[in-house]
Amino acid sequence: MRTTYRVFAYLIAAAVVVQAMAIAYALAGLGKWIEDDHGVLNKQVLDNEDLHFRGSGGFALHAIDGMMIIPALALLFVIISFFAKVPGGSKRAGTIFGLIVLQVILGFTLHGVPLVAPLHVLNAFIILGVAIMSGQRAAAATSYAPAEATPQPAMG
Amino acid sequence: MTTDNPGSRRRPSWRLVAPIVATLALLTPLAWTWWQSLLPDHYSVMEFGYVDLGGGPPVTHALSPAQGRSVSTLVADPERPADVTYTLTAREQSFHLASGERTDGFTINGNSPGPTLRVRQGDLVEVHLVNASVPDGVTLHWHGVDVPNAEDGVAGVTQDAVPPGKTFTYRFVADHPGTYWYHSHQVSHQQVRKGLFGVLVIEPHRPIRSDGDVVAVSHVYDGKATVNGHTGAARVGASPGGTVRVRIINTDNGSLSAWVSGSSYRVVAVDGYDLNGPTPVSGKAVLVTAGGRVDIEVTMPTDGGGVRVDLGGAAALLIGDGSVAAKPQPTAFVDLLRYGSPTSIGFDPGDADRQFRYSIGRKPGFIDGRPGYWWSVNGHIYPDAPMFMVREGDIVSFHIENHTNAVHPMHLHGHHAVVLRRNGDRATGSPWWIDSLDVAPGDSYDIAFVADNPGIWMDHCHNLPHAAQGLVAHLVYSGIYEPYRVGDRPSGTNQPE
Repeated sequence: MRTTYRVFAYLIAAAVVVQAMAIAYALAGLGKWIEDDHGVLNKQVLDNEDLHFRGSGGFALHAIDGMMIIPALALLFVIISFFAKVPGGSKRAGTIFGLIVLQVILGFTLHGVPLVAPLHVLNAFIILGVAIMSGQRAAAATSYAPAEATPQPAMG
Repeated sequence: MTTDNPGSRRRPSWRLVAPIVATLALLTPLAWTWWQSLLPDHYSVMEFGYVDLGGGPPVTHALSPAQGRSVSTLVADPERPADVTYTLTAREQSFHLASGERTDGFTINGNSPGPTLRVRQGDLVEVHLVNASVPDGVTLHWHGVDVPNAEDGVAGVTQDAVPPGKTFTYRFVADHPGTYWYHSHQVSHQQVRKGLFGVLVIEPHRPIRSDGDVVAVSHVYDGKATVNGHTGAARVGASPGGTVRVRIINTDNGSLSAWVSGSSYRVVAVDGYDLNGPTPVSGKAVLVTAGGRVDIEVTMPTDGGGVRVDLGGAAALLIGDGSVAAKPQPTAFVDLLRYGSPTSIGFDPGDADRQFRYSIGRKPGFIDGRPGYWWSVNGHIYPDAPMFMVREGDIVSFHIENHTNAVHPMHLHGHHAVVLRRNGDRATGSPWWIDSLDVAPGDSYDIAFVADNPGIWMDHCHNLPHAAQGLVAHLVYSGIYEPYRVGDRPSGTNQPE
């Protein structure tokens, strides 16, 4: 179960990295669409679900990863932490879950208050750091407690 | 989890109990909320949500045919012959825009936009809708025309969606001259976007003073902004020195800013209702609400120069043969709260019988089992929306508040309301009648109308994906029974949004 805990910690970290890559791809594509293809982005076009340019999938990926996949991973991570018996594991999993809830709120708020966007990025780095630290602490706990080291079957 | 240490024999089971209890404590409320949100396969919009009387006297909330009059009986005079008849055939197909690009979607009589219907004030209009091949079924909603309820074209509320191979006939009197449009109100967030709409112009008894009268219908097809189906610029003729009325129709989900190069302009009508005492505008844009219409009047230069009406920056209508330099989008907008001169609105909104609140927010939760951060009305998410109950003849006011960070173009069916206040500031210009009103983030509006058109009417956001995400409520008249059912299972049944 500790291995499962570690895997989920690193999965969350990886999903955060995917978020940054997706939004960078989308914004680069948007810039090229405007510069090279004379695309016009206004409220009318923004609210049309058919907006396609190379990179526009990055916006969709950022939304799905950020609002569905990462919160689901974080919820499972909290549940796994109850069983994994990593010292301080549930506390860190709960912290990550809380930070992700905050991240979604910041993600919605930044559309109305652009100064929130830097906080959204800062919080992403904090989530990444706590997720990696959780994985490393679980690994350390595993090496100190050989009796618990045998990987348990992953739940679910 | 077993251990060889006999002293800790009871620990393994205890060590599992705590995590299991913690997991259940976390998941049970989620599962319960999810379960509670599941919708039945078919339901009446009258069976969900809660009654809101707006501080007025009690009404009859008709839940059975015995308690009220059916929506299906609220029709135009069946004895009166039609003055003008159209057949509109809806198809799912690949088609060419007027400017040549191919796109996949829906057409009416082979084209999108569908035919522009020009009728005369007072005509009884009869439209035969034929669904040739739209798999989900279609309807036609006469956006902005205050038709009898059974002609309103909302699948599951005022009729059943018309399946492929079937027809439906709409009959209504075109009693108020102005600019309107028609569109499907079945799976509307997809069907409208993909082309199932057209323009309706009701011309007044006395011809309009303008020398020219043109339509500028704005729509984004497959990510491409168009005017009258043309990407880029479309040209219409006009004679030098003449006046031209340009009827701008926003068929998209987001507000559209329009501005004029080569002439000043006057805003002569909004949502089909003429403004009183419109004054010349220059250096300002005018905002057209999603679903809304703005008629402007331009005067052609006498030197043969052209006039350009920009629609959002990606599409434009060029009027006349002459050239004109395109101006960049002005940063200032015409403020309709203060534009034109006041005149009587025909009733006293201070004497309202019912005062409703329509507060738009956002809440995490489930709708029909789907998790999300959903729109809410007065703190409730779909389908737990208020039913705004009125009696015929009531003077009704609404206080609309937007506590989200998205614009909501609020559309009330079957009625025109007059704007009284924005953020507490009283309207000082021409009476500003609307059927579609942009409510910007943080803004509040007070609007009022006379409840003079019995039925069950949608009151929803015309950013149609928002409506599909639950930003929908209903205005319900006392003693009206709902015979139709909404439901998305099996597919092809009534899904108005």
